[in-house]
Amino acid sequence: MTIKLRFAFCLLLLCQISWAQKDSIIGLKEVYVSDKNLNKYSTSQSVLKLNDSIINKNEALLTDLLNFNSTLYFKEYGRGMLSTVSFRGTTSSQTAVIWNGININSQMNGSTDFNTISGSDYNSISIKAGGGSVIYGSGAIGGTVHLNNDLLFFNRFESNLKLDYGSFNTIGINYKTSISNKKWSTQISFSKNSSTNDYKYLNRYTWRGEQRWNQNGQYDIITLNANVGYKINDNHILKLYSQTSNTDRNTSLITETDTKSKYVNGFNRNLLEYDGNFGKLKTNFKTAYIFENYQYFSNINSKNFTYGKTENLITKLDLDYTLFKSTQINGIVDYSRTNGYGTSFGSNVREISSASFLVKQDIGSNWKNELGVRKEFTDNYKSPLLFNFGSSYKFTEWYNLKLNVSRNFRIPTYNDLYWETGGNPDLKPESSYQGEIGNVFKFKNITWTQNFYYIKVKDMLQWVPGAGGLWAPVNQDKVNSYGTETLVNWRKSYGKNTFALNATYAYTISEDEETKNQIFYVPFHKATGAISYSRNKINAYYQILYNGFVYTTADNNSNDIINDYTVSNIGIDYDFKFLESFKLGFQVLNLLNKNYESLENRPMPGRNFNMYLTLKF
Amino acid sequence: MKFSKLLLIALSISLFVSCSNDDDDKTPKGAYDNGFFILNEGSQSLGTISFSSNDLSTFTKDVYKTENGTDAVGGYLQNIFFSGDRAYIIAGGSNVINVVNRYTFKLIAKIDSDLVAPRYGVVKDGKAYVINANTYSYQNPTSGNTDDYIAVINLSTNTVESKVALNSTANRVIEENGKLYITDGYNDKMLIYNIATKTLETPVTIGYDGDSIEEEDGVIFILRKPYQGAGEIVKVKISDKSVSRIALPASIGEAGFLDIEDNKVYYTASNAIYTISPSATTAATSPLFTSAASYVYGFTVKDNRIYIADAKFGADSKAFIYNLSGALQIELTTGAGSNGFYFND
Repeated sequence: MTIKLRFAFCLLLLCQISWAQKDSIIGLKEVYVSDKNLNKYSTSQSVLKLNDSIINKNEALLTDLLNFNSTLYFKEYGRGMLSTVSFRGTTSSQTAVIWNGININSQMNGSTDFNTISGSDYNSISIKAGGGSVIYGSGAIGGTVHLNNDLLFFNRFESNLKLDYGSFNTIGINYKTSISNKKWSTQISFSKNSSTNDYKYLNRYTWRGEQRWNQNGQYDIITLNANVGYKINDNHILKLYSQTSNTDRNTSLITETDTKSKYVNGFNRNLLEYDGNFGKLKTNFKTAYIFENYQYFSNINSKNFTYGKTENLITKLDLDYTLFKSTQINGIVDYSRTNGYGTSFGSNVREISSASFLVKQDIGSNWKNELGVRKEFTDNYKSPLLFNFGSSYKFTEWYNLKLNVSRNFRIPTYNDLYWETGGNPDLKPESSYQGEIGNVFKFKNITWTQNFYYIKVKDMLQWVPGAGGLWAPVNQDKVNSYGTETLVNWRKSYGKNTFALNATYAYTISEDEETKNQIFYVPFHKATGAISYSRNKINAYYQILYNGFVYTTADNNSNDIINDYTVSNIGIDYDFKFLESFKLGFQVLNLLNKNYESLENRPMPGRNFNMYLTLKF
Repeated sequence: MKFSKLLLIALSISLFVSCSNDDDDKTPKGAYDNGFFILNEGSQSLGTISFSSNDLSTFTKDVYKTENGTDAVGGYLQNIFFSGDRAYIIAGGSNVINVVNRYTFKLIAKIDSDLVAPRYGVVKDGKAYVINANTYSYQNPTSGNTDDYIAVINLSTNTVESKVALNSTANRVIEENGKLYITDGYNDKMLIYNIATKTLETPVTIGYDGDSIEEEDGVIFILRKPYQGAGEIVKVKISDKSVSRIALPASIGEAGFLDIEDNKVYYTASNAIYTISPSATTAATSPLFTSAASYVYGFTVKDNRIYIADAKFGADSKAFIYNLSGALQIELTTGAGSNGFYFND
């Protein structure tokens, strides 16, 4: 089989969500992923991988993709606005977003806004449930979201162009070109997503009787990516990943008289990586420079703004040694230096070093164990010793049991430590002990994953009013989260007809240890479903999302809730087969015109439309 | 005089008396008569208003929503003032004043232009005078501290008819004999505006961090509450603008609010309540009582009751109502950020 064929075959395999049984990826040596440890050290946890065919079925911004295809719960301040995540009942800064192996959660507020990321900039997006601080550092408590660019070394010159046009003047342009041979691999892409976003609020009128609509909600997100890999020879590879993005977004109004404000943020990320293979010893050396900044214009008619910037330099050396055929060890040291400055927190430097040690052992082909410890060293806070232990045992061809226990943390952010005035330099990190059991059943065309987890978080960072009304963060509450996740995936072909079904369901209890109340903005229930059908050049799909009600205050008052909602999308595309591929597609989003919101007074759009053209040449 | 005539007079007197008796326990003009509103400032975009009857027998947590459905009252609810049958709810975060019937709480109109971060308001002769903080210096360093203004609102048209530039920061306001007295923590002056002549008079220097402002017998009382410092009550005699001061001991914690009722001055520091006579020259030596509140964010003394708002944000707040000796009468669960009590009778 030629490399190209093999690649095509793998693409086919990945055509649907592959539930990250890493087995399916092994054997594809031509793919160089930057985040090797994602595959290597996640046998005892559940990873959901979304590839381009899934990514392309959703709206461009990551919130929509993850909302419809995973158990992650999102709080959106209106369509396209600030969007924060809750994974397994944890806070938005307890889910780490990992870009090619590097943690990119904001140094300033600790979280990631999922509406500033467009999914099409990546080859795949993986969602790993559960603790991951030993490998990924701060914030990997609920889980991690991995944005991956894979470099492939074979002869090709390929371009992809996707154009979207939809309601509310929503425009998407995504161009990606991949040029590679056996020595070089280059991937350059550009994406732009914008919308005037002036949708009507269903059944809402002002006191004057005028139809209400989403005012000041326009956004424009531009991202440039350039990734280059060079094979010095089969054992030595250099890779450079670079990404620049700018999000220019107004903030939609709650009432027509609110002052119009605007938030501009951007980042620049550069990662240089070297992979060396010296037989039993393999090295991976990474050095990254990450810049992020924001400007907040509290009044769009004024030139005045407040701002914050951080520059973060990370170096990481990962030595991988094969002790025995069955046993590999990794020693990782890293150093990170962040320089942050801004209107609200002056100028501060933070240095963190860490050392970790990981062991992976395969006993036979069915029993796999992994163990890791990590310790951080910094003057900023007292860091706990983190650990991770996992085991996966395949009892039969159709049943695989996974166990994982870990201790994870989330460090205080620049805002927490240095905010003027109120910042508290004496904070401890939030830390968690957690455990999970995963069951994976495989029957013919069905994969069924059933996870159970328990997370105990202490020292939750909370801003509370202190003496004189001054707000300051303190390490306060303890939260216990537990629940279950179901992931089902089925695929079957009858002649030329292919059917696929993916479904997820999460039942989440996340309670304050003292009051026993459910944490607000954590739904008890969330479910998603996607059905697709393809035949020859036609591909049709239907997606559905159910989000259970959430409390909006800590008191769990039944009057203060956001109602549950069910939203669905339907789409169809046809490949005209000009060029390599020429797909024209049409989607109806919020098919049933459901009036819903994920935050109070932040209505989402009713039924709306999108059409797209995807070219491959 | 004939007996019958006498009888008639007696009858009519008794009728008159009984009539006025009827007037005393008047029939309520709506569901929210004879009670008080608790203003809950909420978030930048949405606050709530709670209501309790004076006899504490009925309570509604979110009156505005109950009466006006999905209409948004706005955020950072700062103040309510009344005029005639109407209540005016100032939403500072949303630059709007909601005009409602004070007895039914049904929305009548919104004053929704020419307001920028409105704070407190008073009514005089059919016009409302509402302080607007306008921009703040952290967002607008050049003029944030000098652009505050008074919006003069014609209450028959519900429009801002003029603005008075204050060339200063401004926040709380009271009206006394045709003059507005204005304080704000970010400047050290008490501003004085003469409504009739439409002029600003020479301000009185009182010191920074001035907040609560009250008038009693020709004297204005201002509570200064420096951050992490000792508080002070500043008395300004209206007639000659002379200033005298009562230092509060630093040991009692940060000063909070001041109110005057039945010829007594009440003030809070930390979560304790103190009282002194208006003529006192020194602070109280011991508290009247200490409340259960963890964060006193609103305070009023009225008709032998002391009202304390214990604010929480992202959770329900509490309102504690005490009698004057500190015995708790009731604890109410209110909305996020409770900051004030407004009496409707």
